[in-house]
Amino acid sequence: MTITTQPASSAKAICSRAGVRRGLLAALPFLLSNGVAGVVMGVAYRGVGLGFVPSVLFSVVVYSATAQAVTLGLWAPVPPIIPMAVACIATNARYLVMGAHLYQIFGKLRKRITLPILFLLADASWLMTSADAESNDADIGYLLGANVPMAVGWMGGTALGYGLPLAPGGPISVAAALLPAAFIVTLLPTQWRGARSVLPWLLSAAGALLVGSLVSPNWAMLAGGAVGTSFSMMRGDNA
Amino acid sequence: MPEWHTLAAIGVLGLVSYALRSGGFLAGSLMREGSALARFFQLAPGNLFVAFVAAACLEGGLASIVGCTASLTVMIVTRKEWAALAVGFAAAALVAGAR
Repeated sequence: MTITTQPASSAKAICSRAGVRRGLLAALPFLLSNGVAGVVMGVAYRGVGLGFVPSVLFSVVVYSATAQAVTLGLWAPVPPIIPMAVACIATNARYLVMGAHLYQIFGKLRKRITLPILFLLADASWLMTSADAESNDADIGYLLGANVPMAVGWMGGTALGYGLPLAPGGPISVAAALLPAAFIVTLLPTQWRGARSVLPWLLSAAGALLVGSLVSPNWAMLAGGAVGTSFSMMRGDNA
Repeated sequence: MPEWHTLAAIGVLGLVSYALRSGGFLAGSLMREGSALARFFQLAPGNLFVAFVAAACLEGGLASIVGCTASLTVMIVTRKEWAALAVGFAAAALVAGAR
């Protein structure tokens, strides 16, 4: 139903400069959205008394808004490393699923090419790459290119936010936070498969809302997507 | 100079994050082609897009709902991504500013 990504055996996976350029241009709006979110994170790090260098280092090395926000809540003068690591695993476990899916697309490429690119894997770049692989050659250059504006925005935003006397909030911050979801919305028409998409999509949305409300927003996307995809599988849909 | 336990915490969290990012890819090589799990991953993206948007709307409230609806409408009508993003952004900012 939703995607026609070929299985690894028949897929022609490449890594091209054209793909890098295409991904970079497509992800440019994330420079703003991740930048604003990074600014908020920088302001928050300054608020708990973390220095400038560790604040920026956090965003460079960990590079995960959810994990950084959760571990920030656990911050103490002597950081509790084990509870922080557990929280990081809980919030970032979804990357395991994303990585397994990317293997379906890029499994034939050499690991020395794919593994470094995965350092900057993000929810949005994964979703964009999945959609791109449907309409173009499976090109991991696209993932690399899409990662760049997101990472620059996040890391640069953290540094900027730490240095500027800003407070989070305001209409522009709210609107900028929406951009990743709005970007994914623009991909939806390419995924529409007519009436066969209706039920799986409704189930996906309902599952996400339920899990987001009752369990955790971090798991809403995966849980909702799993519900809709399970229904598609039981119905016998083809990829 | 940052204290050693701060750097240790950042290092450990960075390692954990990268292990999760690369671990799924490495584990994917153990997955049999044509297996139920492989088929699941091929069918998943469209549903995940919808779930991602639903979760974002839940978290962002009315501004996100209005912004996403505006983006989707403009995308369907114009097929122009930049127009859809601009209108969605403006709609969300208007709603957030009005509240």
